[in-house]
Amino acid sequence: MTAVANLLTFVALGVTLVLVWRQSWRGRVRLFVVQSLLLGALATAIGLLAGRPSLLLVAAVFLVVKTWLIPRVLWRMAAGAPLRPVRPGRSAGIPVLVAGALVVVAYVIMLPVSGVASSALPTRGAIPLAFAMALIGLFVCVTGRDALGQVTGFLVFENAIFALGVVATYGMPGIVEAGVFLEVLVVVLLMEGVVVQMRREHDSLDVDRLRELRG
Amino acid sequence: MIVLLVALPLAAALLLAVAPARAATVVHALATLATLGAGLAVTVGTVRGAPAVALDGVLRADALSGWMIAVIVAVAGIAAAEAPRYAREGSPRLFYPLFHLMVFAMLLAVSTDDVGVMWVAVEGTTLASVFLVNFERTRASLEAAYKYLLICSVGIAIAFVGTVLVYYAEAVRAQGLAEHAPQALRWTALLALAPALSPRVLQLAFVFLVVGYGTKAGLAPMHTWLPDAHSEAPAPVSALMSGVLLSIGAYAILRFKPIVDAAAGPGFARRILIALGLLSLAVAAAFLWNPGNYKRMLAYSSVEHIGLVGLGLGFGGALGVSGALLHVANHGLAKSVVFLLAGRIRAAYGTVELAGVRGLLRALPVTGRAFLVGVLALMGLPPFGLFTSEVMIFAAGFREGHGWAAAAGLVLVVVAFGGLLRAAQAMLFGSAPAVRRAPAGWIAAVPMAAALIALVSTGLAWPPGLATALELAARVVIP
Repeated sequence: MTAVANLLTFVALGVTLVLVWRQSWRGRVRLFVVQSLLLGALATAIGLLAGRPSLLLVAAVFLVVKTWLIPRVLWRMAAGAPLRPVRPGRSAGIPVLVAGALVVVAYVIMLPVSGVASSALPTRGAIPLAFAMALIGLFVCVTGRDALGQVTGFLVFENAIFALGVVATYGMPGIVEAGVFLEVLVVVLLMEGVVVQMRREHDSLDVDRLRELRG
Repeated sequence: MIVLLVALPLAAALLLAVAPARAATVVHALATLATLGAGLAVTVGTVRGAPAVALDGVLRADALSGWMIAVIVAVAGIAAAEAPRYAREGSPRLFYPLFHLMVFAMLLAVSTDDVGVMWVAVEGTTLASVFLVNFERTRASLEAAYKYLLICSVGIAIAFVGTVLVYYAEAVRAQGLAEHAPQALRWTALLALAPALSPRVLQLAFVFLVVGYGTKAGLAPMHTWLPDAHSEAPAPVSALMSGVLLSIGAYAILRFKPIVDAAAGPGFARRILIALGLLSLAVAAAFLWNPGNYKRMLAYSSVEHIGLVGLGLGFGGALGVSGALLHVANHGLAKSVVFLLAGRIRAAYGTVELAGVRGLLRALPVTGRAFLVGVLALMGLPPFGLFTSEVMIFAAGFREGHGWAAAAGLVLVVVAFGGLLRAAQAMLFGSAPAVRRAPAGWIAAVPMAAALIALVSTGLAWPPGLATALELAARVVIP
């Protein structure tokens, strides 16, 4: 179980780093789907190995929501957006370096958790990896230049928190997971509404245009 | 009763989504009154006797929940009375259901024992209110709604990390292999297990929880969405958000504090809350000296008051916690009334710019006088209840050995007072321009007047039962 959890979380972290590097929206949405597939596999594997049938159900719902429903909304949102919204001349080198540094930061922050002496949790090695993904998602979200970039960052962040829940606790109680899925879906749908109106008002999704409110 | 209380606003929201437009106002009024009655009944029940428990313990209202329920239904009642004039201008089909959905999510957040369900409900309050913030569909309201949705969703996701860590700490308590105790996310179960949990994991979890729920509460430096959302939303929604939604973030932090205190000692949570409280006071005091827009001014005043609540919770002790809880109630009553009045001022003057509003007392004698009274209450002057609760909070600071923090807080409150006074003076006096007269709306004025009278009563002579309710509520989280 340790090996499976570490491997899958590690590959998902790698995908997240590629996502930071990729600049095109189509590429980013595809990478988000790949990350979701890996995390769904992670939840399935842990559900099987730890004998948690409820986690299998959660994994199934996760896969439906994250690899089918949400990408559909994302494609709809991206339709009409320029393929490369990032201004030319901006290199992806610095963000990738920052993301790499965030992995180290994640290990330092999670030291008290993964290093708890009494913990015999087989998956505890994957906790900092999942948390690193969360930090990178947060980083993508706050540095996003437009609404689509920020939403992608939020979704990566949210995926990572799901992974954290899976490796640290073998899944939260079903009622909580159900609530989380419902709310992520509603967030994305609300975002779509905002983006449609934003495109109509400003003819752009650039968040620098949002400057009516100051002080 | 508690099931009824939570089910009522949900049913009302569903009904209002399909009700014909003519019946909507009546259904809205009936639902508000029924929720008010059920809420007060639950509160009285929790003060008189044991906690109300339902649905296998998922719903559980103790005296602390009861206190919050009373504040929610009271503020919702005040705001609901003013809602029809806003709903009619836009789409009542959207306004009324979302209003009651928001009330439902708030009531669920404070009357569940499961901290996971509490998280879901707190996030639900954001989702229900995003559309309401953007109800006027202008560029500014769109920007406010976008920031609100993004910042609060990220914030609340951070709180989820904290919740996961608490659950993890519970599982590894004793060589555990992620074997959870039954119903381990129940607050009552966590409180009982707390002394056995890993102090370092709990400390880390508390940082995430404070950042996450602190974002919802509007504690600085996570408050950046607050002035935008509160100033752009229609007045009844601003009243609900400023009056009580912020306090629900503080409530969530308050629920986790005794668990962290039992595991890691009281100093940790205390220091964080005092620091954030002082920072919020400082941010608000600085802004209040130069507000351009009176709705933003009121929003920053909310940052100030939530900072005071944070200080009260941080100072702790029976006095600090009960002071903070009383402050939540007082601020809820005062701020909701003042936001509704600000909505009427905006309708009359046609601007939210401070510079555009002059001679309020002459132009709108009734609204202007009520606004004056409300602002004086918000400044924390006697005889209003906010004076009493602020005295309790600062007295707790000196008593619990945080004299310097309490002194700094007092200075900041005086600075904020000065700023608010200056701005209010400019609005209230001077020569009045011609304003648009609106129908008086006496039905909405009755709950507002009642709220102002209640504020005097919490300042001068407490009604019977208030002291007991407050003491029982504070004792829930004081070991």
